[in-house]
Amino acid sequence: MAQQTAPSAAEATTQSESSRLAGTLTWMSQNGIFIFTAILILFALIFVDGFGSLMNITDVFHRAAPIGIVAVGMTFVVISGNYLDLSVVAQVATAGVILIAVSNNYGIFPAILAALAAAMLFALVNGTAVGIFKANAVIVTLATTFIGLGLLRFFSGGSIFFGPPDGPIRTFGLGKIGPIPYSAIVLIIMTIVLGLLLNRTNFGFLVRSFGVNESATRLGGTNTALVIIGAFLVTAVAAMIAGFVLAAFSNTAVSNDGVGYEFRALAAIIVGGTSVFGGRGSVYRTFLGVIFVSVLTNILVLSGISFGYQQVALGVLIVLAVSLDALARKVAQR
Amino acid sequence: MSTTISLGADESTGTWGRIRRTASRRTEGRGIVLLTFIIIMVALLEPLALTAYDVTLGRIALIGIVALGLTAVILMGELDLSVASTLAVAGVIMASIPDLALGIVAALVAGLVVGVINAFFVAVIGINSFIATLGTLFALRGLAFVLSNEAPVSLENKDAGIAFGQPLIGPLTPRILIFILVFIAIQLFVSRVKTGREFFAVGGNRQAARDAGIPVNKRIFTGFMISGFVAALAGVINTLERTTADPTAGSTVLLASFAAAIIGGNYLKGGRGSIVGTLIGAASLGILQVALTISGVQVPIQQIYIGVILLLAVTTDPTSLRAVRGSLRTFRQSRMKTPDS
Repeated sequence: MAQQTAPSAAEATTQSESSRLAGTLTWMSQNGIFIFTAILILFALIFVDGFGSLMNITDVFHRAAPIGIVAVGMTFVVISGNYLDLSVVAQVATAGVILIAVSNNYGIFPAILAALAAAMLFALVNGTAVGIFKANAVIVTLATTFIGLGLLRFFSGGSIFFGPPDGPIRTFGLGKIGPIPYSAIVLIIMTIVLGLLLNRTNFGFLVRSFGVNESATRLGGTNTALVIIGAFLVTAVAAMIAGFVLAAFSNTAVSNDGVGYEFRALAAIIVGGTSVFGGRGSVYRTFLGVIFVSVLTNILVLSGISFGYQQVALGVLIVLAVSLDALARKVAQR
Repeated sequence: MSTTISLGADESTGTWGRIRRTASRRTEGRGIVLLTFIIIMVALLEPLALTAYDVTLGRIALIGIVALGLTAVILMGELDLSVASTLAVAGVIMASIPDLALGIVAALVAGLVVGVINAFFVAVIGINSFIATLGTLFALRGLAFVLSNEAPVSLENKDAGIAFGQPLIGPLTPRILIFILVFIAIQLFVSRVKTGREFFAVGGNRQAARDAGIPVNKRIFTGFMISGFVAALAGVINTLERTTADPTAGSTVLLASFAAAIIGGNYLKGGRGSIVGTLIGAASLGILQVALTISGVQVPIQQIYIGVILLLAVTTDPTSLRAVRGSLRTFRQSRMKTPDS
């Protein structure tokens, strides 16, 4: 600010140049996803055999839906400046196992209630440790991942649960409108609802402002602990729904269902242009990020590229996307 | 560190005052409490874990060696999540090279390279180390799968592996000896060598460190190279002991090594902590794990115990407790204010 009051001529030109560069970089890191997704889909349609087939498109939707639902929910934690929630791995698996196992014995509504209780417990532990104890979110959720998975394996005995062949879960898992399965419609509804929650409500505003400036939000009279617990609760409920969708798709559930979801969801969020530095981002962009990551994975699978390379690609993608964001910030600060 | 801050604040002399001054300066308090508690519990319930101390020492070395390297990074307020995959990649590289010595060297160099890559993204590009190393964690896990064709690679020279598992001096296996050497080396480095002591300054206040002429970026490179190298060393040791390299190795090490470093009192925002603390943390977890294994508790259930300890460790940090007191005060004040307004 002080520099702007009295810039010399030379300074002004370098400043405008660097601000133009900063503008370009920031624009790229936030909106590049539109271009990249379009290019990727075009590329896939032209060069990858079988990408455009109806069966493949349905398959992409099927695979994108649970990851996408986790990602749109986790966007809240990322925007609040708390990096990510690793424990979605445990949350997705817990929800799936509870849904199948409990509904086999007691019916579907007790199952949903039990899963909701588990999700709230996750959110409460994560949110309290991060929001009230100000502990590091990565370490806290690393701990709760292992606690959650351990408890799940203890109670489930690590076995696979099969749903009945013709229950409501199976009907939902197989149902689709045209090429779009029900699970993808759930993803779209979740995106719209959570988008409105983030952009139009007081809670969403507080999550974003907490990500920009924590102490200012607190000094403004907000109970920041509740905001953080709320952000983790949104993530937990989304992870629960993702677990339901995943379990319904295969009509089975096992305690390692959610492995890899934290990375894929984070990749989608970051590629979508939500900043890991907090405060900036949107649920709708995360949705685009999900499409990008899913299409990319699908192209790799169709081209016969092994699982290892897919992981390398996603890891590199995360680091590159964050680098772009970090460089934009650096240039803007200069 | 100690000599520069002993002004004014606590002038009470005599033995008691000196003890109090030392206690307020040290960070290992919670680690010692946990270790004492675990030793008492284990001595009462499962004394076999203490009498079979060679097994317990081996377990402590397994957890502790990665934690020691990690501590160097945590002292600077950074985090290296990629250690788990570095361990796997180093093991696979070592096993896929027929010549043993060449394989070990290649694996250790790979660890250094991973450290340089991590440090580049953290220091030069300016990404938060949690996210940067999460990306490399994922990418390297994939690389381990690619290099090993998604199957465990068995070591060519099986005899070396078997010899490596035998006790060398008394009951001490080479793994334990290497662990002790790494402990002494890193302890001397951060407490006696100027470069190592500067880690505390970089972690305590990065801008002040920069103003004082400390090459902060260089130190970050050093720190990540230490943690990468030590993780690769752990990978080499694992591969030798098991005579195979598993591309999925190390996923449980991640939790245990972080838990060891954090229980040991290493402050995650940097600047405070000690290598001795990490040793205490590793010792507590090692004894606990062996005791649980002897009593027939399965590994996933053991992870619950370690997870709970990590969660407690990270929330009973002095700053965390201060934060809780702060929020309680605000909460009470806001309660008191409501009737007036």
